[in-house]
Amino acid sequence: MMHNSAQIIFSLEVILFASVIFMHLSKKSSSVISLYVLQSLVIAVQLFGSAFQEASWSLFLVALVVFVVKVVVSPHFFKKLVSENQLKFTASTYLNGPMSLVILALLTGVTYSRFFKPLTILSADHQNTLLLAVAMMLISIFLIINRKGALSQMIGVLSLENGIVSFAFLAGLEQTPGLQLGIIFDILVWIIIATLFATMVYKQYGSLDVTAMTHLKEE
Amino acid sequence: MALSFIIATACIASGLSLFVKKNPSTGSEWRALGMIAILASLGELTATVIAVAAVVKNGSYASAVYFSIDSLGAILLILVAVIGFIVSWYSVGYLKAEVAKNIIGFSRVRQYFILLHLFLFAMFFAIITPNPIMMWIAIEATTLSTAFLISFYNKPSAMEAAWKYLILNSVGLLLGFFGTLLFLYPSLQAGQEGLITWHSIRANVAGFDPFVVKIAFIFILIGYGTKMGLVPMHTWLPDAHSKAPVPISGLLSGVLLNIAFLAILRFKSVVDLAVGRDFSQELLIFFGIVSILVSAFIIFIQKNYKRLLAYSSIEHMGVMALGFGFGGLGASAALLHMIYHSLAKSLLFLSSGHIFLKYSSTKILLVKGVMSVLPFTGVSFIIGFLAITGIPPFGIFITEFSILSAGIQNHPIVTLMALFGLTLVFIGFFRHTVAMIFGENETGMQPGEAGAWTMAPVVILAVMLTVTSFYVPSFLALLINAASVAH
Repeated sequence: MMHNSAQIIFSLEVILFASVIFMHLSKKSSSVISLYVLQSLVIAVQLFGSAFQEASWSLFLVALVVFVVKVVVSPHFFKKLVSENQLKFTASTYLNGPMSLVILALLTGVTYSRFFKPLTILSADHQNTLLLAVAMMLISIFLIINRKGALSQMIGVLSLENGIVSFAFLAGLEQTPGLQLGIIFDILVWIIIATLFATMVYKQYGSLDVTAMTHLKEE
Repeated sequence: MALSFIIATACIASGLSLFVKKNPSTGSEWRALGMIAILASLGELTATVIAVAAVVKNGSYASAVYFSIDSLGAILLILVAVIGFIVSWYSVGYLKAEVAKNIIGFSRVRQYFILLHLFLFAMFFAIITPNPIMMWIAIEATTLSTAFLISFYNKPSAMEAAWKYLILNSVGLLLGFFGTLLFLYPSLQAGQEGLITWHSIRANVAGFDPFVVKIAFIFILIGYGTKMGLVPMHTWLPDAHSKAPVPISGLLSGVLLNIAFLAILRFKSVVDLAVGRDFSQELLIFFGIVSILVSAFIIFIQKNYKRLLAYSSIEHMGVMALGFGFGGLGASAALLHMIYHSLAKSLLFLSSGHIFLKYSSTKILLVKGVMSVLPFTGVSFIIGFLAITGIPPFGIFITEFSILSAGIQNHPIVTLMALFGLTLVFIGFFRHTVAMIFGENETGMQPGEAGAWTMAPVVILAVMLTVTSFYVPSFLALLINAASVAH
């Protein structure tokens, strides 16, 4: 039973890790959003599982709020942003495809290096899974750096947040339900504000490509 | 009670500002927004005095289970309350002048005050919460409330600065969040339930794995260091601080950076218990000296006076980091430095607001003859310049001297590099200030100051800065001593 549960958790983590890799490879805005939805769904499933296991209504509420905010509300904001500004393709990157893949491989390698190895003591049952969550975090940061599109940067930030939540879940660092709701509320406000900003940026620059933002350099 | 009052007041003031409606016939909306801002910040200041008095008497103060402050929190609380009050007061006159010049309209003014109160609320909350996650939520809330203030003028450059601010700070704070979670591990392992406080983290310090605590602190330093503006995570700061309305720049530079440093210091005290002081001190020395040197070179070649002030903030954050890195006398001096920097930087930003209103430009090249056009502002800017560059008799001279003295024995090369950086900052600042203040008024601009509403807060800041340079009140000395021993 224990072995099965570890297998399921590892499989879910692999989906999370794969989702952020595919975010890097994806060329369409809608695909990046769908991958974020998938990622958030996995996070919600992890939390629902934890709520059922501990038979905790408050944890169930947290999982439900996570589901509503990340799987239902935020994609709605992103899709609105895409349709209003006709952002079919916003996937241009600073590095080309093969080079990006090399960096992804290096980042994953770094995660399994001596630097991050001590973190595995936080969860003896899920040592490899835990490092996969760290890899997801690093690769999300690379997504923010490598993508020129504001939408991809936003999703990169949220993917990083998903990576941290996943790590916390695996290491048993979950907070009290009250605090978790506070964090989710913060994330929801962030999503709303970032979407508003992206709309304003589009109005000013006629594009969500951050390389068009050169006014500060000219001053 | 006092701490709950502060939080409630900031929250209520924001809500009340939302309901103020425009009334062109009577102009009562100005009075209403101004009254709310000044009365609320005065109330917050009064409650702060009560809370700080209790800390001086008892060593700490708690209001309900969820709020408490120690001596370090008390110092930060005073800074937010004092600068918050002065900025609120200044904002009333400053925004009125901007409306008169058709730079902004009433809806923007209302938006400004709503966000200003929310910003103050988030900063107060970050200081008085005893829980690290709540503190993270509050510091993240400062990012969210100020993003719209940075893009306030709705220009492409302001939008760009705000976007950069939002993304970089969010990434930084998420890394800080990850570090925070790692710090909670021993407390959770020990079966701690409910809110985990700084106290309980310190109590369970024996449960830390030394490697994990080091990794966690690196994430904390990168995360909150981004918010604090330490080099190389500083790139958002000059843009954001130079694009925000002047009073907000004063708050961002004068207070918010210190709150991010507060978070680092809270974690530092835990790390020091777990693995000794050397680890955190070496990291702080590294980030401190890099921040001083990089900002010194950029200050020297700067062309924009608001960016000049922003880079000066990076430099002073570096000085404080260096002070805590050196430890001992350096730490006490760094705390006193924090107070002087807050006062001097707010004074400079508010004075620069007068210059901007008159010259409508932030370029140093286009600002000449301030002394003849704005004599009062010229004097206040010079006071600020002398204070911020550490010229005696101003307090920053003493604090920088003390920090360097603390480092000379164990870190002579770093100390000499810091001395070089500080000298370069003085020369750079001197060049720019002389060009702006004493240059010829070639445009034939008519002399005339902005008005009493914006001048009075500047006078108060200048007086406070000068008086505290000669005499540090005993309660403040007591708080600094207690805080530097604990951190």
